[in-house]
Amino acid sequence: MDLISALEALAPELENGLAEAHTLEALESLRVDFLGRKGRLAHIMSALPQLEPAQRPAVGQKANAVKESLTALLEARKTALEQALEAEALRRFDASLPGRLPWRGSLHPITLVTQEICDVLRALGFDVASGPEVENDFYNFESLNMPPEHPARDMQDTLYVSDKVVMRTHTSPVQVRTMLARKPPLAVICPGKVYRRDSDLTHTPMFHQIEGLMVGDGISMAHLRGILTAFVREIFGGSTQVRFRPSFFPFTEPSAEVDISCCICGGAGHVNGEPCRVCKTTGWVEILGCGMVDPAVFEAVGYAPEVSGFAFGLGVERVAMLKYGIGDLRMFFENDVRFLGQFA
Amino acid sequence: MLLSLSWLREFVPYEGTAQELGDRLTMLGLELEEIVRPYDDIASIVVGHVVECADHPGSDHLHICKVDAGQGELLDIVCGAPNVAAGQKVPVALVGTTMPGGLVIKKAKLRGAPSCGMICSERELGLTDDHSGIMVLPETAVPGTLLVDTLELDREVLDISITPNRADCLSVIGLARETAQAFGLPFSIPERQCVEDGPAVELPPIDIRDPDLCWLYTGRVITGSSIAPSPMRIRHRLHAVGVRPISNIVDVTNYILMECGQPLHSFDLDKLEGGRIIVSRAADGEKFVTLDGQERTLDARDLCIRDAGRAVGLAGVMGGLNTEIDENSRNVFLESAVFRPGTIRKTSRRLGLSSEASYRFERGIDQQRTRWALDRACAMMAELAGGKVCPGVAVAEPRPFAPVLMDFRPARANALLGVELGADFCERVLSGLGCEIRHKGESWRVAQPSWRPDLTREADLIEEVGRMHGLDTIAPVLPPIARDLARAGEPESRFAFWSRIKRWGAGLGLNEAINYSFVGHKDLDHLGLPQEGRIAIMNPLSAEQDALRTWLAPGLLNSLRNNLAQGAAGLRLFELAHVFHARPLEDAHDTGATETGKIGILLYGARYDSAWPQPEGDMEYTDLKGVVEHLLGFLHLSGARYRQADDHPFLLPCVELMLPDGAGEVQAGVLGRVRQDMADAFHARKAIWLAELDLEVLRRLHDATRVRFRALPVYPPVRRDITVMAAPQVQVAQIMEHVRGLRLPLLEDEDMVLQDCFEPAGGDERNLTFRLTFRHAERTLKDAEVDKEREKVAQSLVKHLGVRV
Repeated sequence: MDLISALEALAPELENGLAEAHTLEALESLRVDFLGRKGRLAHIMSALPQLEPAQRPAVGQKANAVKESLTALLEARKTALEQALEAEALRRFDASLPGRLPWRGSLHPITLVTQEICDVLRALGFDVASGPEVENDFYNFESLNMPPEHPARDMQDTLYVSDKVVMRTHTSPVQVRTMLARKPPLAVICPGKVYRRDSDLTHTPMFHQIEGLMVGDGISMAHLRGILTAFVREIFGGSTQVRFRPSFFPFTEPSAEVDISCCICGGAGHVNGEPCRVCKTTGWVEILGCGMVDPAVFEAVGYAPEVSGFAFGLGVERVAMLKYGIGDLRMFFENDVRFLGQFA
Repeated sequence: MLLSLSWLREFVPYEGTAQELGDRLTMLGLELEEIVRPYDDIASIVVGHVVECADHPGSDHLHICKVDAGQGELLDIVCGAPNVAAGQKVPVALVGTTMPGGLVIKKAKLRGAPSCGMICSERELGLTDDHSGIMVLPETAVPGTLLVDTLELDREVLDISITPNRADCLSVIGLARETAQAFGLPFSIPERQCVEDGPAVELPPIDIRDPDLCWLYTGRVITGSSIAPSPMRIRHRLHAVGVRPISNIVDVTNYILMECGQPLHSFDLDKLEGGRIIVSRAADGEKFVTLDGQERTLDARDLCIRDAGRAVGLAGVMGGLNTEIDENSRNVFLESAVFRPGTIRKTSRRLGLSSEASYRFERGIDQQRTRWALDRACAMMAELAGGKVCPGVAVAEPRPFAPVLMDFRPARANALLGVELGADFCERVLSGLGCEIRHKGESWRVAQPSWRPDLTREADLIEEVGRMHGLDTIAPVLPPIARDLARAGEPESRFAFWSRIKRWGAGLGLNEAINYSFVGHKDLDHLGLPQEGRIAIMNPLSAEQDALRTWLAPGLLNSLRNNLAQGAAGLRLFELAHVFHARPLEDAHDTGATETGKIGILLYGARYDSAWPQPEGDMEYTDLKGVVEHLLGFLHLSGARYRQADDHPFLLPCVELMLPDGAGEVQAGVLGRVRQDMADAFHARKAIWLAELDLEVLRRLHDATRVRFRALPVYPPVRRDITVMAAPQVQVAQIMEHVRGLRLPLLEDEDMVLQDCFEPAGGDERNLTFRLTFRHAERTLKDAEVDKEREKVAQSLVKHLGVRV
């Protein structure tokens, strides 16, 4: 058999082989068999030196043409096989398989609300200050215009560590400490844990407060209303209505309690014809207490009587309950992960 | 304070509704809690006229009555009351009425006689406890009209919460004054009226031994009274505002107290010994039985009312049993006095005895109304109990009322409130409140009204004008930023640092918990924590909350127990909070408490929340340590050393985290496994892994770090693995420290990592495979030189640590 015929026979033989090759591995062994260094093409061509020099160019050209067609056959089959494999993989793909879930963590709703409130107030110009939770009577009461016999002390049932040392009943002592350490103008907020001797459906012996204080030249009640209106709208939405009711706190004068339009019923007092349980049909919910700093407090910290400032304080649990619709206060401290994981 | 709308109308002609009044008062700082309608459940009871009354032929006590209840026909009603009689006007519950107790009146036959309704007793109507017979109404009652109208019952009562500063509003008169001001209505108080028609008697002289504690004491004598229940009107009114009717004399004192806020006390004159009144402090340890029958032990801070021989009253708080008015009393000594608020408060608090009287004395009494109250009460007593008021008043007034004089600057009010209030407005408000403006100009001179002990300073007056203007009408304005430039660029606040770590924890996949700062001593005992250094709560709510936590562990373990009870399979909690330790006092302002910020991390049970494709498995030491290492990396803290400790109270094994600190080291916390015998109490079947790190140390070290960029290597690394077979006591850190100690120039500190660790069965060795990464900063390494370096490492390990390679 001459070399040309041998070369021409390769392509049909490969085609036969390809018809049986159903995997990429079989395809590869066919490639090696035909085109490898020791393959059939190479084997045929090894006889080339024995030909007459004049015959060699023709055989060489033929060999190149055969090599090209063999390669093309192999490539075409490979492409077809790959497409089939991909189609098979797609056929088996199940998009509904569960993901390989990494750990999912969460911040406590109290932390979330505290951070949100502090972010809003920081943007309005307040610094964040911290202070001790075990306080002495002076910082917790006396400096805040609550001398020992004052009936206002009844407003806060106190947990005592000793006669003169208490678990702070509010974060106001941080304001006093800040004022003693700094001179006006100043604007601080004090978030933290506070304690009262009270435990029932609506009270826990520990809860969280955020208090704000701004002191400076010409600070007025109009400014207090400005800050609180901005604050309440940031937290509860831009359409929230704010209502100031006169009230009493020993450390502010004038004092006010602030109501916001009920975020459950939108101030209507009823939800789907049922009385709103959150605002008890009044359309308003109490959210914080505030007022202009009492001159007695300025006196206690050695500020000039002509300075002015405002202070406000709110309960974080209350805001969280309103914001997320949490009904039971005690859930905050049971740390059930089914609860903890719901907020973020 | 329960305010009856009809009582209010005796002093101010307010015609609006209870709701409107409550809403307006709320916006003046007198918050309406609710509107109570105490007689709504008898609103459908009508007046009936008993036209005929005959004995029931089949009964020895029933009567068959024919009653005109305005229905157009006479009703047959069978009644068992002994006092029923023809001609009476009586309350009738018609068929279909629901009684206060829930009973529905139906047509019935009683022993054969038909009965269409019920004639009611006072108890059946919920008016009083009287069930001796049916209630008999005045002759003038009109059949068919509503009982509530006939009796002029106080049908609408506003429950108003009164802030501690508004002593004046703990009375009908005070709220009437406020109502008049709010609605621009006239306000009138009747003149004192007391006819002294009794015999001249010698009035007890008043001897006030402690003039600082008793500012005014007045008294009158009423003779010839007969003690009996008060008339219906008084009883029902007291009932409506939450006061239990007792007898005519006592009811009058309560009535006047509710009306004008002046507490009164009536003594049985015949029980007072020696014909005199002494006001003096108690002796330490003195025993005294109050009206409620309780024996109280007094001390020298308490103030007593005494007769010649003994204490007869605990001033301002409660009278004594020894001089109580009883059904045989005839002659009354009536006290109307003013005591120092702080003294009354102390006594009331110390004895846990709060009364309507002490509540008002604590907050301040209108001293110029004391005499009026005395006379008004005497007039009422004479009328209701048939007594005669003896001429003269026993009085001692060591400290007559002198109004506080205050400055008031309208300009300051405007500046503080942020509104422009006219001087006319301010004048109208202050005068309307009863203030006397003695001088006007830039700064006014204003005298306090006797009924407003809370008005003593300019700020108080500014509050009043602001309140009347309406705090809610002040236009909101954002203030300019009040910041001190010198404070710009201060280090991150404690709050910001904690917030960042909390976000790290949540981002890593831990769930943030918040536990109470207090635990029980027994919780701390359970974990073997020392007694010393604990801070106890003096007045805890319960034994579960009687000590401040010295570790976060007790709270986190309780949270674990809660979650296990709910079926949790795995838990990853963290908490940032203070722990508290006692230390010696440094100065008078010191609290003796050290508060240290901690982060606690608890890992328990299943490593993953989801099942497939995550592998099953429980968390172990390496999970916890990985979290700690991750935190240290987050804070850029390197060079940590983990030192095993064997003496920890509740962790076994316990590993101390040591961090480089200057030239030395500092302990930054511990991590380990909660001792299994202790873990059992929290129903933990698996290992509880717990870490507590000191945030103060972490923050200090973190603040000292500086993050600097390091250039990335240019030339490729060459890696070699080395497997070490080592006895279990040879620790991984030992091997790595040894290699590090060789200080091979081509091997950098971080370039040795543990690749694999396994213990072949049957042997007492571990196979530890480390991967070494060699690198030269300025050229590509050749295989031969790297192999040489690896060999150095291998030989050194064999030689110095006795391991096989």
